[in-house]
Amino acid sequence: MLDVVVAVVTTALTNGALYALATIGLSLVWGSMGMLNMAHGGLLALGGYAAYTGSVQLGLPLPLAIVFAMLAGAAMGALLHLLVVRQLLRSSGAGFETAVMIATVGISIALQNALLLLYGGQPLGQPFDVPGSIPVGAGAVPWLNVTIVLVSVGVMAAASLLIARTKMGRAIRATAQNRDAALLMGVPVQRVYLQVLALSGALAGICGVLVSSITQLTPTLGADPMLKAFIMCVVAGLGNLPGAIAAAFGLALVEAAMQFAAGARWGFPTLLLLVIAILIWRPAGLFGRARIQRL
Amino acid sequence: MPDPTGAAVALALKDVRAGYGGPDVLKGVSLEVPRGCIVTVVGPNGHGKSTLLRTVSGLTRLRGGRILALGAEIQDHAAHRRAAAGIAHVPQGDLLFPDMTVLENLRMGAYLERDAAQEKRRLDEVFALLPRLAERRTQVAASLSGGERRMVGIGRGLMAGGQVLMLDEPSLGLAPLVIEQIYEVIARLREQGRTILLVEENPARVAELSDVMHLFDDGEIVWSGAPDDLMNREELLATYLGG
Repeated sequence: MLDVVVAVVTTALTNGALYALATIGLSLVWGSMGMLNMAHGGLLALGGYAAYTGSVQLGLPLPLAIVFAMLAGAAMGALLHLLVVRQLLRSSGAGFETAVMIATVGISIALQNALLLLYGGQPLGQPFDVPGSIPVGAGAVPWLNVTIVLVSVGVMAAASLLIARTKMGRAIRATAQNRDAALLMGVPVQRVYLQVLALSGALAGICGVLVSSITQLTPTLGADPMLKAFIMCVVAGLGNLPGAIAAAFGLALVEAAMQFAAGARWGFPTLLLLVIAILIWRPAGLFGRARIQRL
Repeated sequence: MPDPTGAAVALALKDVRAGYGGPDVLKGVSLEVPRGCIVTVVGPNGHGKSTLLRTVSGLTRLRGGRILALGAEIQDHAAHRRAAAGIAHVPQGDLLFPDMTVLENLRMGAYLERDAAQEKRRLDEVFALLPRLAERRTQVAASLSGGERRMVGIGRGLMAGGQVLMLDEPSLGLAPLVIEQIYEVIARLREQGRTILLVEENPARVAELSDVMHLFDDGEIVWSGAPDDLMNREELLATYLGG
């Protein structure tokens, strides 16, 4: 019995950490610029492959290969802003939310096919690995899972400190809460958007490395985490970062428990059922609130 | 146009036109705000007074004309660069950062200020002028009363240390007692020699404060002059403001 509990908790914490990491990148972009980035999964895959290139092809040490993956994600996020988002903001006005969603679906497809062309369709092994495990009672917790959780939590803590404490973070929050007011304060809103997309890209980059370390490298490796990230965002209330992280760990636990209790194929339907129930009960999400503006 | 102080012009609009896709809302507006003066634009609601301020701060796109801040043309600058040029706009509806505390909102006002000591000095000034904000400094903006929100908006505008403070209907939606408090604050700002472009609906409320008044109707300035002259012209007030 104990070994089952250990296994379920290990899976839940690992997946929860990965979902949370995928979610905050997505939620940050949505919360600050009203942009649903459908290419977020593509950025995850890009990060995974960038670490492979850094480590296997360029011979970088693993920590540097991870930094390389984050830089690749950040660069792609910045490019996304310069080439697509900035133009759409200028041209599509009130239709921006729809336009950017469609545009990023296209970018996601292009990104996946570029990876397919560069690396081939055969799944590759992610060089990032931590061998060994810690025996816990009758079961064992692999060091890789422990590392994934610790790295994810560390990265999320760093990201929240950046947003809570730095001047750049204040500008991001101000822009998210009231774009016009931020402009009146002299905040260069376009530069803030660039920073947000680069930051989100870097988060996606490292998330992709971690995800592929427990699965493998394929051009579509980001699809499942991104789908889960959408679910977490919706459950928590779009744009709510702490809520999204809590939802990620909570739902990962439900998913893992269900998979062990009823079989792997019941995990995802259970998640969806829960989402439907939560949205009926609280349409703005678990921690979301309908905005009340006092005059 | 009368210029009571003879000082340099802090803000000048020359034949400014603007709109929102349809016909022009501003149909060629020219006015000057001399340094150290309070210039007031009064007129009925829905005739473009807010658009006037939004066009100066860059939130509404200019269609024609020129805007000069301390003599430098700023009409082609993006909104965030106009703040750097010294335009501090306290917009209608306050537009606070709802999830930030009072202190964070005020500090956002000084976003462009790189000198921390200068920011601290301005914060002390704002708290001296609006002591209620010091009491509420850790409270989230969304939880404030209407009057307190207005004070945060004004305080945030002052934190920028700009050349011109533009106040858009500071009395809007407030109880009479609170309106009095807000106008006491504006009177204090006048004593400090601030340069203010003020927009109001009710001329009686601002006549005492103003150096120059402009009567604004349907996107145009229809009369300009000293406050006393306007208040003595009953036919003007009756025509444009319904008495």
